[in-house]
Amino acid sequence: MNEIAIHMKLFGTFRKFGDVLDFTVPAGSTASFVKKMMSNILSGGESSLVFDSVLADDNAVLPDTHVFKTDARLSILPPVCGG
Amino acid sequence: MTETIYVSVSANPLDLQAAYDFVTDPEHGAVDVFVGAVRDHHEGQSVSGITYDVHEELAEKIFLKICREAQKKWDGIHIYMSHYKGQLDIGGISVIIAVSSAHRAESFEACRYIIEELKKRAPVWKQEHYEHGPSEWLPGHSLREAVGG
Repeated sequence: MNEIAIHMKLFGTFRKFGDVLDFTVPAGSTASFVKKMMSNILSGGESSLVFDSVLADDNAVLPDTHVFKTDARLSILPPVCGG
Repeated sequence: MTETIYVSVSANPLDLQAAYDFVTDPEHGAVDVFVGAVRDHHEGQSVSGITYDVHEELAEKIFLKICREAQKKWDGIHIYMSHYKGQLDIGGISVIIAVSSAHRAESFEACRYIIEELKKRAPVWKQEHYEHGPSEWLPGHSLREAVGG
């Protein structure tokens, strides 16, 4: 199966891992699967934080069911607290 | 056509006068302004400042969506909404929301609606810095609800 490249920008508490993460997933992966891959990469017991976070592009927050067929530039958004 | 919504994320100091000037209108008899500022304590700890992290492109789109929702609820209001990005000391202004309307009730209610929605939906994060101890990212609202997760 073809692999696609994920370029993930990190925000908030994820900044402790850097500003971006680059990794690959199989084409056709869901956002939920991409988050699981991130949990595996962030070997710091962050699985519950990743679960509570969402993926987004520069236009919208994406549901966990969203399917990625091609390379994607994304962000992972932990729980928000602006104001 | 006159613009009635202004939204921004800014790394420059937020400007109260600009907010007032944008929303004021001869037909409007009320202007309500909410200002968020950095306070010096949180849950028993002395705070020395806050760093605001913001997904700028998405935040401005969500700000605009919230403002359009408010204009549907309160017809005719003008809205200015700006959030700071970067580090602020105590007393620094983190957010300004100004709303004008013909009468005071709509501007009060809309201003409250906008700040509450911002807190729940906007991709903004706070890292508090303490007088004693390491800095911490604050917990918040998961956006999973926004996409039915």
